[in-house]
Amino acid sequence: MNLKQSFRMAFKSIRSNRVRSLLTMLGIIIGVAAVIIMVSVVRGSNRHIKEYYERMGNNRITVSAEQWGGMDISQSLYDYCLSLGPLVYGVTPDITTEGPIIYRDKSTGDMENGSPSIKLGSVQYSLCNNFQIARGRDLCQMDIQSSQQVIILGARTAQYLFNYQNPVGKTVLLRGHPFEVVGVYQAKDPDSEYSMDNMAVVPYTLNRLLNRRDTVDSFTVRASSSETTAEVSSRVSGFLKGQIDTERGYFSVYSENQDMKASDDQNRMMSMVLGGIASISLLVGGIGIMNIMLVTVTERTREIGIRKAIGAKRKSILAQFLIEASVVCGVGGLLGIAIGVAGTLVAGQLILRAVVLPDLPMSAGAFLFSVAMGVGFGIYPAAKASKLQPVVALRAD
Amino acid sequence: MNLIEMEQIYKIYHEGLENEVRALNGIDLSIGRGEFVAIIGASGSGKSTLMNVLGCLDLPSRGTYHLNGKLASSMTDDELSHIRNVEIGFIFQGYNLIPALDALENVELPLIYQGIGAEQRARTAREALERVGLGERVHNYPSQMSGGQQQRVAIARAISTGAPILMADEPTGALDSKTGEQVLDTLHQLHREQGTTILLITHDNKVAAAAERVIRIADGRIVVDCPREEIAL
Repeated sequence: MNLKQSFRMAFKSIRSNRVRSLLTMLGIIIGVAAVIIMVSVVRGSNRHIKEYYERMGNNRITVSAEQWGGMDISQSLYDYCLSLGPLVYGVTPDITTEGPIIYRDKSTGDMENGSPSIKLGSVQYSLCNNFQIARGRDLCQMDIQSSQQVIILGARTAQYLFNYQNPVGKTVLLRGHPFEVVGVYQAKDPDSEYSMDNMAVVPYTLNRLLNRRDTVDSFTVRASSSETTAEVSSRVSGFLKGQIDTERGYFSVYSENQDMKASDDQNRMMSMVLGGIASISLLVGGIGIMNIMLVTVTERTREIGIRKAIGAKRKSILAQFLIEASVVCGVGGLLGIAIGVAGTLVAGQLILRAVVLPDLPMSAGAFLFSVAMGVGFGIYPAAKASKLQPVVALRAD
Repeated sequence: MNLIEMEQIYKIYHEGLENEVRALNGIDLSIGRGEFVAIIGASGSGKSTLMNVLGCLDLPSRGTYHLNGKLASSMTDDELSHIRNVEIGFIFQGYNLIPALDALENVELPLIYQGIGAEQRARTAREALERVGLGERVHNYPSQMSGGQQQRVAIARAISTGAPILMADEPTGALDSKTGEQVLDTLHQLHREQGTTILLITHDNKVAAAAERVIRIADGRIVVDCPREEIAL
């Protein structure tokens, strides 16, 4: 008996027993759908978090270092990072301060979700923190060297103060000092209210003016890739150990990739646990298939007898029942994938407020797995059918 | 060698136990090509067991059975399937059609197991159905046909492979006398026109009267074996 014929037979027998076939498939459908939804949603949330870190600027290393007694290490740290060559993408002082920015009658102190953080950075601030200029220009070396009172606004801050006007060229007041807006950054996180776009950057050389301090104690170093992040972290640590006497100062080197990795691990664990639970339901579905196939064999004993009487060999009967079981499972798997995709879209909207699509390899895998289960759980009933003696089978009602 | 050669065939159930049953008790039988033989006997006489052994549906406990020159008494399951497929066409009392398949698909079934391609298979099956007068009903399902029509589908299935032997087990048992006669006529026609060897198993003397040679079984032995003319039925 050829394969095409066997598949036609299998579909025929599924169709002639619609309700039962559907009930049989139900276990597989639910199992496959559950695996797809659970794993996809967990993966989707994982991707969500990763994207957040990426927008914030990944591979960032936060360095705090201070030597009491006034020595500023920013120049030597800068030089050291430069010496690391391609391992380092950029380095900038990264001091955070506050203070309302005022433009005419508007003050950021009145913003609903808090006033913007004011960053003191160098020309590499935007590079290190993944900001891009939307309007005007970025900080330049001149601004730093001559402590120009210029300011670059984050998208959210600019929008609050200027609405749809072009802020470039306007003058705002920061802690009472006039600053010229020279640029506006593109929004990194346009959907969020508490956003990383609610900020502004000024030259770090204005530290004295704004904070009454001469030394810079915090920096952001951005490594060139996630692979080099750990290496740069340890090298910078080593360098600072040599520079700073811990009796009279301190330093810390911290990479956000560690956070990301921790949340990654947590997510992977969750997806394994949920996937495991869903797999158990798939297994139960498979046992259901075996049960129904056994009933089918008993019910169709006479048919098996007829087939054997007119010349079916064992392997033909075996193939027929195996193909039937795997077609039932395969169709169940496809329905499960359809429901899983729909469920993932819905769950993605409800839980993550984002379009989450299950990935193709996993869906293909779920389908293949369910077919394999059909074969696996169909073997025993099929073997039982193939071993029936025609005389005995023909006597059955 | 004859088409069918049986020597000292025994079929014994529960051998050596108290409830031992000798369904076949030393059968010697030879049937030549082109014969039309009726095997008759009361129920419990062993004629169904004989039919099962003759039809390679069951193996004898002892003895040798050659079918078309092949030793059928010691074959494996799959070898028996093969020999049933190519040497024998079965016609059963209860038709034994598969309800989920239409007439054409039922007739195609033995051809499928022979591995014949779809196109030729459909053509052969259609021809067989036309020969039994069902050319118009190839796509009817068994449930849509009368008993006589179903039995003719079964005959078409039996002759579709061109097997040299037709075995009919009470082929008219479930039919009224008129359709029963039509079925017997069909068998006669096949015998006359194709020279098919026909084994007819029946308890009905009137049916047996259609044959050329009559074999009567009682208690697992052949008690009568003679031409039709020499026996009063």
